[in-house]
Amino acid sequence: MYPIVLLSVLGIVVLYLGFLKSKSILLPATLLFLVVAMIGNFFEWNDGELLYFKGMFAVNKLTLTFNAIVLFSAFMIVAMTQGFQDNEEAQPAEYFALMLFSLVGAFMMIGFENLIMLFLGVEILSVAMYVLTGSDKRNLRSNEAALKYFLMGAFATGIMLFGIALLYGASGSFSLNGIESFVTLNQRSPSYLLYAGLLLVLIGMLFKVSAAPFHFWTPDVYDGAPSIFTAFMATIVKTAGFAALFRLLSHSFSGIYDFWWPTLSILTVLTLLVGNIIAVYQDSFKRMLAYSSISHAGYLLIALTSMTKQTENAILFYSMAYSFATICAFGVLIPVAREKSLEGRPNESYEAFNGLAKNNPLLAFVLTVSMLSLAGIPLTAGFWGKFFVFSSAVERELVWMIIVAVLMSAVGIYYYFRVIMAAYMKEGDTATIRIAPFYKIVLIAATLLTILFGLAPGLFEAAM
Amino acid sequence: MSLFLLVLIPLLPLIGFVINGIGFRHIPKGAVGVIGSLAALGSFAASVAVLLAFKEAGSQPQIVSLFDWITVGELSIPFSFQHDQLSLLMLMIITGVGSLIHIYSIGYMKHDEGFGKFFAFLNLFLFFMLLLVMGSNYVIMFIGWEGVGLCSYLLIGFWNKNTSYNNAARKAFIMNRIGDLGFLLGIFTIIATFGSVEYTEVFRQATGLPIGDPVLITITLLLFVGAMGKSAQIPLYTWLPDAMAGPTPVSALIHAATMVTAGIYMVIRSNVLYTLAPETLEVVAIVGAATAIFAASIGLLQNDIKKVLAYSTVSQLGYMFLGLGVMAYSASMFHVITHAFFKALLFLGAGSVIHAMSDEQDIRKMGGLRKKLPITFITFFIATWAISGLPPFSGFFSKDEILAHAFEHNKLLWAVGLVGSAMTSFYMFRLLFLTFFGTFRGTHEQEHHLHESPASMTIPLMVLAVFSALGGVIGIPEALGGSHQLAEFMSPLFDNSRQANPEAFMPISLSHSEEYMLMGVSVLVALLSGIAAYVMYISKASVPAPESETRQGVQRAVYHKYYVDELYDAVFVKPMRTLSNLLASFGEFFIDLFVDGTGRLVKALANLGRQTQTGSTGYYIFAMVVGIMVILFWNLLIK
Repeated sequence: MYPIVLLSVLGIVVLYLGFLKSKSILLPATLLFLVVAMIGNFFEWNDGELLYFKGMFAVNKLTLTFNAIVLFSAFMIVAMTQGFQDNEEAQPAEYFALMLFSLVGAFMMIGFENLIMLFLGVEILSVAMYVLTGSDKRNLRSNEAALKYFLMGAFATGIMLFGIALLYGASGSFSLNGIESFVTLNQRSPSYLLYAGLLLVLIGMLFKVSAAPFHFWTPDVYDGAPSIFTAFMATIVKTAGFAALFRLLSHSFSGIYDFWWPTLSILTVLTLLVGNIIAVYQDSFKRMLAYSSISHAGYLLIALTSMTKQTENAILFYSMAYSFATICAFGVLIPVAREKSLEGRPNESYEAFNGLAKNNPLLAFVLTVSMLSLAGIPLTAGFWGKFFVFSSAVERELVWMIIVAVLMSAVGIYYYFRVIMAAYMKEGDTATIRIAPFYKIVLIAATLLTILFGLAPGLFEAAM
Repeated sequence: MSLFLLVLIPLLPLIGFVINGIGFRHIPKGAVGVIGSLAALGSFAASVAVLLAFKEAGSQPQIVSLFDWITVGELSIPFSFQHDQLSLLMLMIITGVGSLIHIYSIGYMKHDEGFGKFFAFLNLFLFFMLLLVMGSNYVIMFIGWEGVGLCSYLLIGFWNKNTSYNNAARKAFIMNRIGDLGFLLGIFTIIATFGSVEYTEVFRQATGLPIGDPVLITITLLLFVGAMGKSAQIPLYTWLPDAMAGPTPVSALIHAATMVTAGIYMVIRSNVLYTLAPETLEVVAIVGAATAIFAASIGLLQNDIKKVLAYSTVSQLGYMFLGLGVMAYSASMFHVITHAFFKALLFLGAGSVIHAMSDEQDIRKMGGLRKKLPITFITFFIATWAISGLPPFSGFFSKDEILAHAFEHNKLLWAVGLVGSAMTSFYMFRLLFLTFFGTFRGTHEQEHHLHESPASMTIPLMVLAVFSALGGVIGIPEALGGSHQLAEFMSPLFDNSRQANPEAFMPISLSHSEEYMLMGVSVLVALLSGIAAYVMYISKASVPAPESETRQGVQRAVYHKYYVDELYDAVFVKPMRTLSNLLASFGEFFIDLFVDGTGRLVKALANLGRQTQTGSTGYYIFAMVVGIMVILFWNLLIK
């Protein structure tokens, strides 16, 4: 609960700080606020299960851990913004405030006990994202992406709201507990109203985490948005979305698992196929990362579909591993693309990475570890993420799904390794790129954590 | 405080490795050596502190859990350290001898361009070796096991510009892989049988099984295959003599004092399992005895100073396994300790000789070095005396204890051991006499260059010489008025064994007079062989024939190491090559077809899928609506 209150207030403080002449205070202030929120998050660590607002919002170990992942990712991303100091057009105060507000939305999605809260959280997060996507005002593609995202997001929101209304119509309640008791009472006589409502809410949420066939917005929006906000979208929105999906399905609808798992499993396989296969054809590294984010939504959906005891831990670990690796990937992409810019635009193609290792061994190493982790190679956190996901599917005996997933991760190796090969084996001349010390520390920390959790996945559980 | 110290033991060498490994291009040579040696010395100091604290706390074994490492289903593997009598003894050897060898290397490797890399690898080796003996379960042991194998590979091939050195490194790696396979299968069987890899849990459950249970025999045999690879026993021993391609300090540390004794450590650690599988012990004893005599006989005719020592190591390891096979666990550990002292000393002494002789290793070209290298000579002499099993130096006590147990167990094994001991004494004195006595047989240039080694090399020699001479005091048997502190110290380790198989685990029942008789016989045999060597190489001053001369009969076979390498080459390597050539020319075609085909298919699909991404929002929303319709229809109407 503390982080929500803190960031709501501190976000406004950031807006006020924007009135100051010097913009250089904004970045350290925002980072400090995130640290404060992180500390606030741990205040309730040992309090067990807490409920707020007449049972509309819950705080427990699970939500706090998701909050921590989200906050940690946000901290790293904000640190990589460099305060937007090189851009005259930028409005850093507004960006930072929007990021903090969007985190509030993410926390609400993680901790909701009531569908109204879920809806509020999704909207707070999404609206902030629409704006941030279009923040590069002079860039046509950024504008186009924002508009597309907004139009389709509005569509998905409508669908989800309709689903919530149907759920209310069926069960007479917005709260997870109320719906749950309705579901357990009427397990034998199916209520089509409830089923339709559940499906529509699921579709709304699957849109947010970019699962097929609701993924169409992802490549265009990810590609068009400024890279730093793409990183934000790819990690925080996805983690919060999966937290929400997990809480919804594991809580209210576990009684009708038999109803929803076939649909979810088909969408899972579709997502895996679409994400991995189309990624092969991309020439832009950034666009590849967009498809990669679709494919990782697929892996996370496997854990969700199997919904066993291990699912909770699998989703937590996977989101953590995926977030760190993705942040590293963007963290390397941003300076490289800027260095290699063509006609004033950042060059985000694979070619920009040619020969990167020669003069920038650190960037190349960080990139390599993050790609290995995304591909799920052992000794990186990504490997254990996949391992936990697959083992939860094994427990449900969803073998066919694992076969598809393993084949698709083999395909994944192709496009992830392409950039490693470009960095180490292709000829190219990249001058030594200057990186701010703090930026460097963030990259190294995320890389070390990826390796550490790859060596000892038990540490993550021990930390919880 | 204890936890901190305990973690510090492996951590310091790791830090040393990281510093030297990352920065060896930038750190000056002097600092590299200091950092590397300080890491080892710090680790040694921490080990001593832990040992003292352990004794003070009443010698109770402790498991310190650091974190849950891997949890999969029912199996949970914690990352935890166990410190008890066994791991502490190993810690003392590894860090103690390790520190001395680090210091020695500062002098020995001074002129080498890979100085920083060398120290980084040495520290990494220490780290893995410490992990191996400190872990509280088989998986951590396996990590260490593989890690030391890797370091061994890297250091054997350290001078990688020489192809034959690289081949030696590869050979060591492959031979070890064969053993590792057995070790891994053993661990898997343990997991399948006991559902845990923690020592305490496995041993607790094992004590409930009957003696000679087939599962236990399987496990112990598989683990022993691992030990055969790592500790160079027949038939997997051939890598160790070739491993002498590495720098001499490496031979001393890895291929004499520590890594190769990992197999013995593992068996002693698993003593409950072995005690409950007498059939396996029988195999261990026979393999050990056979290796002891076989390798010793090859050592008789070798002319490379390091090769002689290498075969001697193989043979001494055979003795240790002989001891294990007759359930003289603490006697074997005793021999591990004394062997670490005198064999490290011998290798370092050999290194000092090689250093002085400008990288000459052939003893036919040496001679009369005792005047030029007095310290090296005296320390080498002490070590020779010790390894030959002559009183009052350390080797006498440990070897005799093993032989006494063997005598009680099976007279034939004892006889084999005794013959091996005679050979040991002969080849060691032969080496000593040819190197240090007589006249110098090298080139003029070498003679001119002869010099005693610097202090950083001679001080470790002297320290090790003291230990080689006096190391026996920790295990003086009752028959000689001692109390055998080592056996007493290690006794709690075997409580489970004693309980599980009380009959087999009896204390030695020989009377004192019998023990005196046994000691007398072995000392006499060793002395006689020493004298024989004296007669041949000093009185008659004969020098082994040069390479070009053809040898006859048995001598020829022994000189060529019984053609074992050639045999392996013909039986395993060549058929494998043929097969792989066949597959390369024939199988590759189909594989390529399949692989390329898959690649093309994926690419075509990707191209198809890419076209769904039109960029038009209207189209996207249309596709979503279709998706929603299909989901709703399928779920609500059809299903």
